[in-house]
Amino acid sequence: MLTTGCSLLTPEPKIVTVTNTVKTTVPIVAHPKQVQLNDVKIYVVSKENYDEFVKEFEAKNGADAYIAISIKDYENLSLNFAELRRYIEQQKQIILYYEEAVKPEEKTTKPE
Amino acid sequence: MARSLSLKFANTGDNMFSSIRIAIILTMLAAAGGGFLYVKKLQSDLETARANVAKMEIAVQTSEQSLQLERAESKRLGELNSQLSNDLQKAEQYGDELRATLQKHNLTHLANKKPGLIEKRMQNATNKLWDDLESITNPNANDRVQSTDSGTKDSNSN
Repeated sequence: MLTTGCSLLTPEPKIVTVTNTVKTTVPIVAHPKQVQLNDVKIYVVSKENYDEFVKEFEAKNGADAYIAISIKDYENLSLNFAELRRYIEQQKQIILYYEEAVKPEEKTTKPE
Repeated sequence: MARSLSLKFANTGDNMFSSIRIAIILTMLAAAGGGFLYVKKLQSDLETARANVAKMEIAVQTSEQSLQLERAESKRLGELNSQLSNDLQKAEQYGDELRATLQKHNLTHLANKKPGLIEKRMQNATNKLWDDLESITNPNANDRVQSTDSGTKDSNSN
């Protein structure tokens, strides 16, 4: 009694389990509307078809003023567009990745 | 006198024994009561300990479930990351093919020789590029990176 008497004063500690799961939900916003691009007519002109081009161009556009671009610059323009296209695609993929990563879990109901 | 003294002594002895008996009984009763209380306390502690064990088991289960969820989430993100790397790599394809095509062909020479043919091809490639740009910015379109066969295999890519 004397040796165990002290245990009467110290009751068994009670364990309280609190489970608290917090997951941030990020609303997914709508994507921007797609681009609407205008057609661009390209003329390739050399000595062989210059006269024909001038005639056709004047008939179509009503003027003989035009913007010329060298083949090299046309290639550069193409490469620039390719870079922009790459950037748009990669940016889009990164956005899709984040959207998928923060997407809330789908609750599947088990068939009884 | 001697007899009365011995009687008194005997009475005193009886009283003393009865007092001792009472004391012993009281002590035994106290011991029994204390023992009873102690056993009750032990039982109560045992119940609490059992409840604690049950709660600990639930806590361990919850912890294991959390770990499993964490592992599954980690695996999912790993797969997503891998998919993203592939898609980012695919997006480079168009530019790479275009560069290769431009290096392969001498556009200046071709434009000098056959301006009509090159013009047609350039126009087609340009139109295809506009279509592709419209398509990849379409929010309702397929989300994966599209194949890049937009005129880059021709000698007149845009």
